[in-house]
Amino acid sequence: MAFKKDTVVGTMVFTFILCLLCSFMITGTAELLKERKLAKKRDELQRYVLMAADIDMSGDRDFREIFAKSVTPMLVELDTGKVTTDGNLMDFDERMAAINPETSIKPKKDTARIKSRANQVRAFKVVDDKGELLSMVMPVYGKGLWSMIYGFVAVKSDLNTIENVVFYEHGETPGIGDFLNDPEWTDKFRGKQLFDDKGKVAIKVVKGGAKEGDVHGIDAISGATMTGRGVQRSIQFWFGNEGFETFFNKLKASEV
Amino acid sequence: MSTHTLSTRDILTNPVFTNNPVAMQVLGVCSALAVSNSLQTALVMTLAVTFVLVFSNLIISSIRRLIPNSVRIIAQMTVIASLVIIVDMVLQDVAYELSRQLSVFVGLIITNCIIMGRAEAFAMKNPPHLAVVDAFGNAIGYGVILLGVAFVRELLGSGTLFGHEVLQTVENGGWYLANEMFKLPPSAFFLIGLMIWSINVIQRKRG
Repeated sequence: MAFKKDTVVGTMVFTFILCLLCSFMITGTAELLKERKLAKKRDELQRYVLMAADIDMSGDRDFREIFAKSVTPMLVELDTGKVTTDGNLMDFDERMAAINPETSIKPKKDTARIKSRANQVRAFKVVDDKGELLSMVMPVYGKGLWSMIYGFVAVKSDLNTIENVVFYEHGETPGIGDFLNDPEWTDKFRGKQLFDDKGKVAIKVVKGGAKEGDVHGIDAISGATMTGRGVQRSIQFWFGNEGFETFFNKLKASEV
Repeated sequence: MSTHTLSTRDILTNPVFTNNPVAMQVLGVCSALAVSNSLQTALVMTLAVTFVLVFSNLIISSIRRLIPNSVRIIAQMTVIASLVIIVDMVLQDVAYELSRQLSVFVGLIITNCIIMGRAEAFAMKNPPHLAVVDAFGNAIGYGVILLGVAFVRELLGSGTLFGHEVLQTVENGGWYLANEMFKLPPSAFFLIGLMIWSINVIQRKRG
């Protein structure tokens, strides 16, 4: 064989071919699992939305069935408040939309530290059996200490009271940031008011604990100042004038 | 170690007992400590290691005459790392919850010395069929220790085996007061230590 493995050229040729083969191996597997992964992602999304909307998923009924019956995904154009419900919204890639310069803008006041904001976001309208609006499940995200924290905030039909919140993805310090997934903490959001009398977003995470009767305050967790601040600022940003404000005003005027 | 004179049978059975990678060579202990608190995770980890070990030995042994000496460790690493990524992806697909429990330890199979050790010490010098046999032997050796430790830890720590209740714990209205220490990694140290001790005693008796 003419291949001299221990020469410089031989080494480089070998390394190149080995790397190529290994990457084929990995991408091949990824390609095989892609369709299943997408289906799983869809399932997960449905489950989180239902969790945020506080819809009972126990019992025999399949959550996909419940989702199909009571939840309508919609694409909201943030600056105009325009809504579309056409197309395959379950596979809408909001993260891609947020980093693609053609479909996103730089926020003027980037309090949530997201760097670029998508022009369209996917929201979910949840209705009861009679078709009455139960809640709007809105996506929020923002930077905590280390990572983007992704979650859903479900707002009741008065468009002010929080039904429930879910944080489904974060990379905060393990053990310290875990409270984001702890129902004991997220339950504190239930029944709180998003906006104050003047219509400004007033929800905040209070260090030292929110005072009794404070309709906007959530107890902070000690040792996780930045994570709590991240949560507060994401909600403030997304429900503010660069977020869902226009859409909510339209909703209130029953134009949607 | 003159592996060439060993019979295929010896290659398979030696690593299970007399030359066990965990107990005798004390390799791969990190993962053995971390994932051995329940039988289920231990079993999945064993399967993952078996897959990586068998295929890394197979691939490396088949290309052993082509691997330039100066980059052989990196070449082995590349093959092993690719296999580990595949295992991780498949595991996330078929058993997402379990893969979360195993968390970083699936990724850390890359640094499991058993796999590197077998690639460097055996697969680089032997034909593929023997390398596969050796891989199976070592995987079984790893699995035996892991499952043995997990058996004791899960039984005494939670009173269950594969999640099924065996000893009814006090919390569930039974009689068994679970020993919390067995849920923590240090208990695996003691158990592996006891295993090493007993294997040594038995071997000495045999001469």
